[in-house]
Amino acid sequence: MSVTEQPPAEGSRDTDAAQEALHDRIAADSLTTRRDYLRIVATVSGGLAVGGVAVASGILHRHGDGDGTPEPKKIADRILPGESLAFRYPGDEDRAIAVRMADGTLAGYSAVCTHLACAVLWRKERGSEGELYCPCHEGIFDARTGEVTAGPPPRGLPKVLLIEQLDGSVWAIGTARSGESLQEGLCRQQGDALRLCRGGAGAEGERSERT
Amino acid sequence: MTDSAFPQDPRAPRPADPPPAQPPSYHPGSAEPRLNRPVHERYPQIRPTSGYADPRVRHTGPGPGAGTEQEPERSSKLSARLALALTVLIGQLWALTIVVDEWMSGNTGTAWWGAGFLVLSFLVVLGLWALDPKDR
Ligand code: FES
Repeated sequence: MSVTEQPPAEGSRDTDAAQEALHDRIAADSLTTRRDYLRIVATVSGGLAVGGVAVASGILHRHGDGDGTPEPKKIADRILPGESLAFRYPGDEDRAIAVRMADGTLAGYSAVCTHLACAVLWRKERGSEGELYCPCHEGIFDARTGEVTAGPPPRGLPKVLLIEQLDGSVWAIGTARSGESLQEGLCRQQGDALRLCRGGAGAEGERSERT
Repeated sequence: MTDSAFPQDPRAPRPADPPPAQPPSYHPGSAEPRLNRPVHERYPQIRPTSGYADPRVRHTGPGPGAGTEQEPERSSKLSARLALALTVLIGQLWALTIVVDEWMSGNTGTAWWGAGFLVLSFLVVLGLWALDPKDR
């Protein structure tokens, strides 16, 4: 039963008056005019402009953004095929995931979904060779490239560069942003310190450095 | 009745008496006396100074259209400005997603271009707002 068609209350005139007042309020004309809407739209628009400038000047945290060059960090003594490992690199708040696929490929990614920042999980039984899966909105990332294969995430996962020592221990040595290749990311962070970066990749590294 | 194509719910309420042979006689206004009160009693927010009854509106004099909107263009211009502003707003929402995307993938230059676009769009909306005639 809607508010406006209640049966007349017996006895009390009090509730009657209250109902009357309520009905009057509901039935009254809305006082928001098109001019008011225009003002509201202008305010929201200004808010969006401020938000855009804030984003461009860097209020959002990017994986691996921090002070200086990240130090290499040992994350595991070994990772067996089909297994994954959650770790933090380079900062304490940079959640990351290391995956060893069945064929031995070792890959590291940020574990923060690019959609709404849920935790990304390794699901080895999904897909043909396992995939990185975000349970929040069924986002799926390719475990080999980090690119989005399904679901709402707008970008691929940022990467973490992992290397394996001869004794099987796994070290994280650098990061790369969503669109970057591992080499670009590494050269951006290490500068000219690596021989790898001094050649053709130098220009690339410079481009990222400048931005 | 029971074997009609649309059997009735036996528990459904039925009209108490058969419908009258004649349609009910016409009378102006509502059957509910509450709704027949004068407008200013039903809508206290409508004041003599709001809308069409604004005394500052130029006189129409007698004739067709008397007492209605003097310049329909005013109203449609306002609607058009609102529509344009909303369109720009949608463009801004889109641009903000692009800015976030570009910034997160490290293309700060592109992100700044997007921020510039957002600010320009805001100026356009401000302009649409400021176009308001001041007379009413
Ligand atoms: S947060 Fe990962 S898909 Fe939405």
